[in-house]
This record gives sequence, structure tokens and C-alpha cells, in this order.
Amino acid sequence: MISKSLHAIPFALGTLAMALSLSTVQAAEPTIVLGASVQLTGSSANTGRYYRDAYQLAIDKINEKGGVKVDGKSYKLALKIYDNQSDVNLSVRQYTQLVSQDKIHLLLGPFASNFALADSAVSEKYQVPMVQGGGASDQIFARNFKYIFGTLAPASNYFGSTIAMLKQVKPVPASVALLYADDSFDVSVANGTRPQLKKAGLNIVMDERYSTNASDFNSLLSQIKSKKVDAVLVAGHETEILNFVRQAKSLNVAPKMYSFTVGVPSEDFRKALGKDADYAFGMTAWLPGPTLKDKWFGDAEQFAAAYKAKYGYEPDYHAASGASDVEALVVALEKANSLDPKKVRDAIAASNFDSLYGKIAFGKNGQIDLDQTVVQVQDGALKPVFDGKAFINQAKYPMPSWSGR
Amino acid sequence: MDLLLQILVNGILQGGLYAIMALGLALVWGVLNIVNLAHGAFIMLGAYISWYLFTYVGIDPFLGLPITACVMFAVGYGIQRGLLNLIARAPMFNTLLITFGLEVVLTYMAQLIFSADFRTINPVYAGSSFTLGHLTIPAVRLAAFGVAMVLTLAMWYFLLRSRLGRAIRATAQNLVAARLYGVEPRHLYAVTFGLGLALAGAAGGLYGTVSQINPYIGATLTAKSFAIAIIGGLDNPLGVIVGGLFLGLIEALTALYIGPTFSDVASFGVLVLVLIVRPSGLLGRTA
Repeated sequence: MISKSLHAIPFALGTLAMALSLSTVQAAEPTIVLGASVQLTGSSANTGRYYRDAYQLAIDKINEKGGVKVDGKSYKLALKIYDNQSDVNLSVRQYTQLVSQDKIHLLLGPFASNFALADSAVSEKYQVPMVQGGGASDQIFARNFKYIFGTLAPASNYFGSTIAMLKQVKPVPASVALLYADDSFDVSVANGTRPQLKKAGLNIVMDERYSTNASDFNSLLSQIKSKKVDAVLVAGHETEILNFVRQAKSLNVAPKMYSFTVGVPSEDFRKALGKDADYAFGMTAWLPGPTLKDKWFGDAEQFAAAYKAKYGYEPDYHAASGASDVEALVVALEKANSLDPKKVRDAIAASNFDSLYGKIAFGKNGQIDLDQTVVQVQDGALKPVFDGKAFINQAKYPMPSWSGR
Repeated sequence: MDLLLQILVNGILQGGLYAIMALGLALVWGVLNIVNLAHGAFIMLGAYISWYLFTYVGIDPFLGLPITACVMFAVGYGIQRGLLNLIARAPMFNTLLITFGLEVVLTYMAQLIFSADFRTINPVYAGSSFTLGHLTIPAVRLAAFGVAMVLTLAMWYFLLRSRLGRAIRATAQNLVAARLYGVEPRHLYAVTFGLGLALAGAAGGLYGTVSQINPYIGATLTAKSFAIAIIGGLDNPLGVIVGGLFLGLIEALTALYIGPTFSDVASFGVLVLVLIVRPSGLLGRTA
């Protein structure tokens, strides 16, 4: 008797679950569900939140302005998001669940290249398009996958505009150090930067790879000091950059300039370092201004204001990239006039529209190409200084010694 | 030559920090036979307490260390009394499970309270340094090194010379005999775990003055502390100093001669070597 009633439990639970899921389906309006797995906890959560927040803000705004019209029918957008806990394997499982169990319509991306690299295999296998604004590594787009699209500028060219600037500053740096973390994105950056430095005639005296999440940069900094390196280019993560700058100060290492792939454009970086953030160069493919127009927010400035008002912190290019992913999907849905993922995929590939982030038009490999603007922290504020060809504002170069600030 | 000297100094200063990080782990492991997988998370907690004291109360991170240590002692005493004593006789696997669970809980609690943002403890003197010939010596790192040495020596004196320390070691060695002499093991276990956490707290405060803090630094710090405790040996605090300095130097020299990406490979390679050649650690008693 007991064993019989025990056997009934799974059935009862199953029926209950079915009843619950039926009731939610009945209650909802016609909805297009966008699925994503993002780092909400774990070591990448600090940047992951940009994507969750940007996705949600863009979806809310688009719904508020009437949603999406497909084949004469009006749909609302919904976000189904999982926390991958900064674990790549979990992220792949969650994307598999999104497409196979949750039956989402289209995919948004995770943050970071190594995640996008792994997760794009899921979108490719199930032939569900994924537009992602968190992975820039050239590796993601080198595989001729048809269902992955990227809205970050190619990693290999992150330092392109910085190198162009180095040829115009006076004095031109006599020696350059290239340091990079050993992950997919930063290795791509280094592989793209190395030939550009050589082509520009800049002398690479250090070319060093360090472990991701390294916290001790004393050895590298001592070498920079001992070799009297003029310009230091670092491709790494925000936590590493923070340690790098703090240790540079404590070892009194002040090259003529240093530049970092990440960190500098984000508000947290400036907050955590205070005055020590000054003079740091970085790059961004996006600055909130009135020239970047879109259909829903008006322009990038209004997007930034709405973002700050809702979440209490400033968006950086990660957030703008994430919001443009939602816009790219919506534009493609309306253009394809169908929910069929294959038709939407073709419409995404043919995208050509202005977003709050910039012009969205994907190359043949699925990646967008945007110019990087060189930025610098000056007196605690982020200033654009070089647009790839000419100076926009005066660059503070060379950097003074730590005692001379 | 100047560069090599500078690298050696960097390695030694880093090693001092490593030693204080590993000291609490070694104490708890050596005396209570608990491999505390949450050790790094407790260091993280100590770092946040110091950060909080500095940012919101205005207490200098070095002067705040005793407060951090006291708070962490109370936390440790409570955890041992309320949780770990329950499984004092259980197989080691149970303590691994419980401390692993604690690590997860602490990490996510830290994210809930402090968010995933990174923090720094940045007093005005944080970046200052002084020069000795061609050498640059970061003031905060030297101070952290000094504190680490003082605490290690104090721990050595406490365990080997003081009455309470002897009682703790006696309990670890022979519980029945210690009981006959009037030792109350539950209390002593809790004091020991509290001391371990007080050291972790102090280590966290020092760590925060030289490095950034976020809720996820714990796992790496546990792994480092584990390696140092093994390399140095568990039964003598001085061994932990040796282990810490050894690891700091190995990492610095590897970064210079082979490449920074190999630092971790080198340090864990040394760990494996020590386990093969001297399983009880460099300063441990040979079996």
C-alpha cells in the first residue's frame, strides 16, 4: 500500500506542474521570449549585470512603445534569464535548456568571449539565432557558424586606435610592453595587437602572458621599470587592472602611458581607484551622446539617463552593446515578419539600422565592426581623447611620476 | 642584478602575506584536523570588515586589524560551538562538506550584502614606498610583512609555551588524557577555530590594503593557503612562514625567468614535489 502511494507522488507532482505551466500560458499575452544565460553571480558578475540590466531595460522600453509586430499580430517581449554563476559549463547547459526545454524564441548572449565561444555551439546546433554583445574574440567568428552574431568590435583591433595615437604623441614611445591574460578574448587582443605594433614601427620589449585572475603583478612591474618601458598595453580583466595600477603606484612604476582593454570606461574602476585612476588610457566603442539615434529610446544620451535612473549606476559600452542586441532581434523579427528562427537569422544577417549603440550591420563572419575611441581618465572623469585618426581632446601624456601628481 | 634583487624583495614581501593567509588554515588543520575549505572565504570576510571599518567608520586598516580579528574570533567560536563540534567525531569527509557549504554561503552572502563590485582599502599612504639603493620597497607591503611575522611568532609562542596553547595541543594529541587533566575540549576546539578565523581576518585586512577585494577571491586564497600549509608543515607555525616565503619566491622567480603564466604551475608543482619527498612539510617532523 505504502509503495503504491509513493509511486503516485511523481504523477501527482507532474500533473500539478502541468497545471501550473498551463495556467501561466493561458494568462500571458502573445509573447516572444528571448533567452539568455548571464553571469549574475560569480567572478564575472560585476560585468554580467550590465547585460541583464540592459536586456531588461530595452525589453521594457520596446514593450512600452507597443512591442513587436509580426505578421499583423502584436507581441510583447519577455526575458527568460538564467544565472550561469560565471561557470562556462553551466552556461552551455542553460542555453541547451533554453532552446530544448523552455522553447524560447531567440537567444541573447552571455558576457565574455570564452562563454560566447562555448554557448554559440548550442545556438548553431539548434539553429536558433543568438545575438550577443559580450564576446569580442575573433575565435567566436572564425568558425563559419551561421547563427551567432556579435555587437562588440573585434578583439584583434581593440588597441588599433591606441596604436594610431601612439604615433602622434610627442615623444613617440621608444619601447612598448604588451601584457595579456590567458583567456580567449585577451589572447585575441594580443594576437591582433602584436603585428599592428610592429607595423607602426614600435619596439616591443616585453610580450608576456599572465594567468587569468592573477593578483600579483610585482614581477612584471619591476621588469617594466628596469627596462624603462615607455608605453604599457594591458589586455586583462578589471580586477587584474585594479591590482596592476595599485601595485604600479606602490612600486613607483610610471611609464609614459598605460592603456587597458577594460575597466577604464566603467564607473566602478574610477570609484575603486579614486585619484589613482587618473592618466589611465582605455578604449570604448560607445559614448552616450545625442548623435546615436534609435527608434525606442530616442538617442544614446536618453538611454544612458534611463539606465542610470533605473539601476543607479552608469552604463558603459557593455550595456549599450547588450541593449543593441535586443534591438537587432526586434528589427529582424519585424523585417522577417515571421517567428521562424531561420528567417529571423537571415534578417539579422542583412541588418542595417541605426541603434543607440551605433550602426548595426554584421560582416560576413557575423561580427560588427566599430571604431574604438581612445579614452582617458582626467581629473576623475572619463574624457574621449582620440578617435582613431585625430585628437578630440588633449591627451595627458606623458604620465607624470606618482610623486609628481 | 638590480632587477633580480628587486624580484627577490617582491617575492619575500608577497611571501609574508602568504604566510599570514595560511597560518589560520594550518592551525585549524593541525590541531582540529579540519581542512577548512571556507578559509579563503573567511579571509574575504575579514577584508570586507576592514574595508567597512575604513570606509564608513574611518578606522585605519592597520589599527582596525585587532577589531577585525576579534569579530572573526567571535564568528569562529560560534561556528565551532554551534556547528563543527556536532561532527567532531565524524569522518573527515563530513567536515569537508560542511566547510565547503560554508564557503558557498559566505561567498553569496557577501555578494548579497556588498554586491559583486570590487573594493579597495586605500588609505593615503597605500601607494607610498621608499628606496634602498636601487630597490623600491612598498611601505604597505613591508608593514603587512611585519604584522605577518609578529603574528606568526606570537602564534608560535602561544601554542608552544602558553598554558592555553599547551592545553590545545594536548587535546589534539590525546583527548582522553587531556580530559583527565580537566580540559574542556568543546571550549578549546571553539577557541582554536576562533583563533584560526582571527588570523584569517587579520590576513584579509592586510590583503585588502594591497589587492582588490570582491566576493569571489576566497577559492584562490584557500588553494594558496592549502599549498603553503602543506609545503611548510602543519605542526609548527614557523613552518608556515617558511612555506609562505618559499612560495612567494618561487612565484616571483618563475614570473621573471619563465613567464608569469607559469607561476601557478610552478607553485603547485612544488607542492607535489614536497608531498613526494617530504610529506610532512619542509619544517614538519619526518615520519
